[in-house]
Order: sequence, then structure tokens, then C-alpha cells
Amino acid sequence: MRNTLLAALVAATLSTTALPAWAATPDDQLVIGLSMANILTLDPAAIAGRESTAIITNVYDTPIQLDAVDVTQINPGLAESWDVSEDGTITLNFRDDAVFASGNPVTVEDAIWSWKRILELELVGSATWQAYGFTLDNFDEHVRADGNTISVTMPLEGDPQLILYIFGKPSASSVIDRQAALEHEVDGDLAAGWLTTNTAGSGPFTLRNWTANDTIILERFDDYWGGAPEMSRVLIRHMPESQTKRLMLERGDIDIGLALSVPDINALNANDDVVVQSVPSSGFYYLAVSMKDEKYQDQNVRLALRHLIDYQGINETIMPNYGILHQRPVTPGVMGSIDAPGYELDVELAEQYLAEAGYPDGFTTQLLAVNEPPFIDIATAIQGTLAQAGINAEIVTGTGNQVYGPMRERDFELIVGRGGGGQEPHPHSNMQSLVINPDNSDDAGLSGLIGWRTSFYNEELNDLAMQALVERDPEEQERLYEEVQYLYEDLVPAIQPISAVVDTVVFRSDIEGFQNHYGWTTRFDTVTKDR
Amino acid sequence: MRIMPRVTGGLGFIGSIAVTLFGLLILTFIIGRMMPVDPVLAIVGDEATQATYDRVYARLGLDQPLYVQFFRFVADIARGDFGVALLTGRPVIEDIARVFPATIELGTISIIIGAGLGIPLGVLAATNRNKFPDYFVRFFSLLAYSTPTFWFGLMGLLVFYAMLGWSGGTGRVEVFYTGLVDPITGFLLIDSVLVGEWDVFWSALRNIWLPASVLGLNSMAYISRMTRSFMIEQLGQEYIVTARIKGLSRGTVIWRHAFRNIRVQLVTIVALAYGGLLEGAVLIETVFSWPGFGGYLTSNLMIGDMNAVMACTLLVGVLFIALNILSDILYRVFDPRTRAQ
Repeated sequence: MRNTLLAALVAATLSTTALPAWAATPDDQLVIGLSMANILTLDPAAIAGRESTAIITNVYDTPIQLDAVDVTQINPGLAESWDVSEDGTITLNFRDDAVFASGNPVTVEDAIWSWKRILELELVGSATWQAYGFTLDNFDEHVRADGNTISVTMPLEGDPQLILYIFGKPSASSVIDRQAALEHEVDGDLAAGWLTTNTAGSGPFTLRNWTANDTIILERFDDYWGGAPEMSRVLIRHMPESQTKRLMLERGDIDIGLALSVPDINALNANDDVVVQSVPSSGFYYLAVSMKDEKYQDQNVRLALRHLIDYQGINETIMPNYGILHQRPVTPGVMGSIDAPGYELDVELAEQYLAEAGYPDGFTTQLLAVNEPPFIDIATAIQGTLAQAGINAEIVTGTGNQVYGPMRERDFELIVGRGGGGQEPHPHSNMQSLVINPDNSDDAGLSGLIGWRTSFYNEELNDLAMQALVERDPEEQERLYEEVQYLYEDLVPAIQPISAVVDTVVFRSDIEGFQNHYGWTTRFDTVTKDR
Repeated sequence: MRIMPRVTGGLGFIGSIAVTLFGLLILTFIIGRMMPVDPVLAIVGDEATQATYDRVYARLGLDQPLYVQFFRFVADIARGDFGVALLTGRPVIEDIARVFPATIELGTISIIIGAGLGIPLGVLAATNRNKFPDYFVRFFSLLAYSTPTFWFGLMGLLVFYAMLGWSGGTGRVEVFYTGLVDPITGFLLIDSVLVGEWDVFWSALRNIWLPASVLGLNSMAYISRMTRSFMIEQLGQEYIVTARIKGLSRGTVIWRHAFRNIRVQLVTIVALAYGGLLEGAVLIETVFSWPGFGGYLTSNLMIGDMNAVMACTLLVGVLFIALNILSDILYRVFDPRTRAQ
């Protein structure tokens, strides 16, 4: 309690203090402050978090680049153009002027080796490929090199547009310098050990040094096919403490600060020396129930929960700079995204549903939440509104993996979580994570899918979502995705989105060309300093 | 013939150290494995497929029975192999060689500040018991001791870095000097001088004085309170009265007689405070983004990386044993009675 009070005092003091500010970072270097605690590897095939994705994006190239502003737009990367044929075959035409940092030319063989390597090592990126039916066994058959092009046929019926998006996803399609990597192969590990701490890419920057939880130094790659970046170095410094980042931003000792706390962002909003940039990101904050729990198998109980969340209150008071009100399972702005259903807190209605379900006096349950904002605050708000209908929810908190661990094991009752796809700007990215559950048995072990973890299964919903995926008429496809969401609403599934995730970055106002990316693939080569 | 007892004594001593460290390892391992932290999820992310999860699970050897995991670990250590840290992908021993000097550098300057201020203040308080200097020192040390260091850290940053610009901010050097000096000893203040990078030296000095002072303030509080009570005890002894009756000056009585007799006790508490600084500077390391040992240990605990945690625990154990031995040696220097034994 004493510590909380003191922390509040510090925050109050900081927020009322005007500081002298002057830019101190060099003109040709970009200095970024972020928490490096989640950067565990620089192997593109093994990255799992947003910070490592951003580094990989700037060191490795993908065939296609996802546009940071217009979410459905894709831009040329290593592939200078592409075609999609009638039968859905994708042809990527690689540029011939791209070279790796080692000086080796980038070839289609490098690309194919890099992608197949992901499946061979079964690393994090393999999930993306497997989701569309690519396996180690059928890979050669479906991904083929021909001269300077790669042709890709889909193992499963699907939407070629979606596959194109995957070619812009660093964890799935970064192209590694095969020759340079294999020089460091140990015991047939496909250079997995070496690539954990070293890089071999063709991106606009090269890795000069990575000291875990301290610094990452990227250096300009002068022979980059897209032209050398203006910044000669990108210095990334480990700064776990939000207030430290804020002070350094105010002083101009860092150019960009990531993942600041909301009170610090709010305070910086009033500072003309910095720009606060909020962009919709991927995923949602949600409340999920486990259908393994008898209570939650009853649709009336789930309906009651739907009306026991103060969506508006949570979004207005807790979520600014974390997320924006969103109640449907499709990312705002992508194909098929429809108007909000307008759920509101309605205790009376919830009580009726609870009475119908046989719980007129409520019940006792357990609510898991990660022990950091905004999760813990959302959980507390929900605990309060649940109590109004007699539901006594005990909040159990833990670190990310303490909370998601039991969920992956399907062993929980309620959870406030974050996730739900959206790194590809296609509704299927959300469907696959939240809606489709191909096999509801415990043995299926589909713990990567949030839908499976909740044990919610509906065949009609699965079929409709898959039907939408393979529909080739754009208008009909959009209509089908709308229909999926209406059906989702009627079925009252186990996951209720509350907010769509928003990422907020603060940077000095003399920084130009910095655009935080919804899919975490933020590029530093477009950044200049206006001094 | 007189050598034998010494040899057995020495062996017994080494044996007891080995047993202590082994016990420490077992305890850490059990606690580590009881923690509901899943290192696999930290690596693969919470939306990874089961196949990826299983593969990493097996790669980390977590599919083996606990006792197998433990003995493998101990056997590896015996060969000098502490394994690879999940957090960095590098050998744990290399990581520690990097983070530990950063902490020793910070801790050493802190303890110099802490003891350098704490001991004179404690003596001042004891010799002015229940007068203004005593009240002042007691109030000041109570305040310093009971205020959380992260608060002092943040306030220090606000005042000395953001407002006055006297401190260089966070990290060991200002951002653009990062990576200019390759580690020789690992102590940046020394390495930068060795290679003649004076800019880096001044930057490192600008960056270290504030976190070191904040940490030093805390140990100063502890040391001054202890010094005060040791001194008060000595000043009440009959030999002091005798010395005064003999007409010795106040300074001689205090420093030559009373203070000499508390040196042994002071060595113990300064050594303990120093040990505490080396392993317990986590909050200050976080506030000042100091890439040190405390932060390394904590981040590894958070992701459940037992290789790194056990190596760190072992190091802390060895450190405390070493500090104990050091204070034993200093006892002999300061206390003639122990030499006679």
C-alpha cells in the first residue's frame, strides 16, 4: 500500500512538472527505448512478439510488404511483382538487384530454403504455413522455383489474397542468406543456434550488436535494393520502466518510446515536442469462458455475461491508448467488418438470463488475468459488474504464461485475455484464431487457437467461415463474412471481444516518416529527422 | 606432523562450502520447478501450436523426470558447463561475465558512498547522543532506510537528469557511446581509461553517480545506524572512562580507542551490505535501465529459465561465502586475539 501511494505521488509530481527539453540525439541516428524482455531470439522462424518482429522486419526482407496505413494494400518487397491466376496459383517475380548483407545475391532458392526450414524446425512461424495446409511433405510440390520466380499453389482451398499477406509476414516468409547461415550449421540444426543471435538478411539494416536486455545496434545497409536508409544507425536501448522512457523522450535523449504506460502517454499528449501516434493493431481484449465448465455450457449464462460487461465504461476509463470499443470478432477496417452490435451493461436483463439458467442468486467463479494493466483493470471492472448480478468472481493473476498456460490446457473458468489474430489484414486471420475450431477433442491439442482453448464448437459456424474463405466473388465473400458474425452473435460463443487493440508510440516531433504498423512490421528505413 | 590438522581443516572447510552450495542448488531447483512459470511459453509465445510447444519442451529437457533434470544440471556444472540462457541464446557463463561487472561497478561505488558517509555519521550520532546531530542522523537514516529506493531513483532522475541535467540518464553510458568500448575487465570506468576513450569515461561517470548514490543512500542508512549502536556500546565501557580520566583528547578517545574496537563488527555489516547491493539492486537496475546482475536474475526468474537462475543462485552463494572469508581475514587484521588463536 505504501509503495502504491508513493508511486502515485511520483506520478503526480512527474505529471505536473514542466521540463526543459532539447534534442540531443545525433541527426543521423535513430534512438529507440523499449522493453527488450521479450526479445529472446533473432531467428525469423522463431519470433513470437511485437518487439522482435519489428527488429526482424528491418533486418530481413519478405517478398511482399504490408502497407502500414492502408491495411488491405500490399507493396513490392523482394518480389517486384506478382500474379494470381484463375486457379489461385500465385507467382512471385523476384527482383534481381537484391543482395544480402554478405554480398551474396538474393535468390529464389534462398527464399524457398528459408520457408521450408521453418517447417523442418517446427518453429513458431510453422503455424502460419500449416494453417493453410503446407507441410514438410507437400512443400516441394506446392512451392516451386522457376528461374527468378516462385509459384505457389494452395494445398487447401482458400483465398490467394490471404496467402499473399502471409508473404509479408516476417515470422513466416523472411528470406535468409542460405549460404551465410549454413556456414554456421551445427549438427544439422539448419543454423538455428547461430541465427538465434546473428542475422543474415537483405533488409535495410544489418545487426551490429545485440546484448540481451541492454542494447541492439542496427547499421545502415548501403547496398539495400530500396536505397540506403537515411539513418546510419538505429540504437535500441532496453528501458523497462515507462517513466524513464518518458523523461528521456522529454529530454530528447531518445527519439521513439514504445509501450509507455497510459498515464505517461496522457501526460505526453500535452507536450509539443513529441507526437503521440495511436494505430489500431492486431487482436482484441476479450472475456472468455471455458465451455468445459458446466455453468458456461448454458447459453443463458453466456448471454448473462454478455450483458454484465460495462463495455462503454471500460473503454472510456481504462482503455484509452490500449484499445477502442469493439464487440465483434473481426478486426475493424478489414473486409466484412460490420457495425457494432451495441451490447451494454444491463444487470436486469442478465439476471433474467441467470434465473432462466437456474442461477437466480448467481454463482462463484474464478477469473484469470495477467497482472498488469489493462488486464487487471478490466478484470476488476468485470468483477464489479458480475457481482451486481450475484456472480462472485475471484480474480487470480499471474504473469502472461501463468495465465495463458492453464487456458492452453483448457483448464480455466473465465479469463481476460488479449489475442485473436489480425496480423494479416483478412477476416480469416481472426476467424482462424477465434471462431473456427476444427476439432474439439482434447487430443487435438490445438492450443494455438483461442477458439479451441475455450472448447466452443459449432459445425455450422466452422463451415460458414470456411465457405467465406474459399468464396472467390469479393462481394459474396464479404457478405459471407458478415453472416459469420451474425451467426456468432446468435450462438453466443465463448469469447466476447471488448476492445480492439490499439498500439501507441510516442516520438519526438522532428521525426518524420515513422509509421507504427498494425502487424508489428514497423520499418525504420523510411525515418528521417527534420532539423 | 603439524600439517595434517591443517589439511583436514582445509578439506573440512571446502567440504562444508560444497555442501552449502549443493543444498542451495537443490532448494533453488525445487522452488524453481514449483513456480507455475512455463519457460516454453516464454519462448514460443502463447499462440504457438502444440507441435512447436512439444518440440521446445523436449529440447529444454523438460520431458525428463525432475531428478534426471537436476542431476544432469549438476553434472554439467561439474564440467564447467552452465548451459545456454533462453533469454539471450548465449552461454549463461558469458552472460554473467557481462552483467556481473556492471553490478559490481555500481555496487562498489555505492558501498564506498554508503560506508564513507554512514560510518562518520554513525560516530557523530553516537558521540552526540540525544543532541541535535544524533536526532538529525537518526531521522535522516530512518527516512533513507524506509523510503523505497525506486522512489529515490525516479525522483533523482527527475531532478538531476531531467531538470538539472547533471546526470547522464539511464544505462551505463549515454546512448550514442554505446558499444564504443569493447569489454576488457568489464568495468566500463576502467576499460574506457585503458583504451583512452575519455568521452566514454566521462559519460559512464555521469551515468553511474546517480544510481550509485541512490543505492549508497540506502546502505548509508543501515551502516550509520549500526555504527551508532556499536559506538554507543563501546563509549559506555570502562576503558573509555579510564582513557578520559587519563586526560586523552576527545578525538583520541573516540577514534583510537572506541572506534578501533568496532572495526571488526563494521567489517561484517559492510560486507553484508555489499553482498546485498550486488544481488538486490533489481529496482534500481530497472529504473536506471542498468544492464546488471539483479535485472538478469529477475528476468530469468520471470520466464522460468532454470539454467540461468541456478547459475545466478550459485554465484550469489559463492559471493556470500567469499565475503565471509574476506571478513574473516579482515578480523585477523583488526583483532589481535583472533590472530593468536
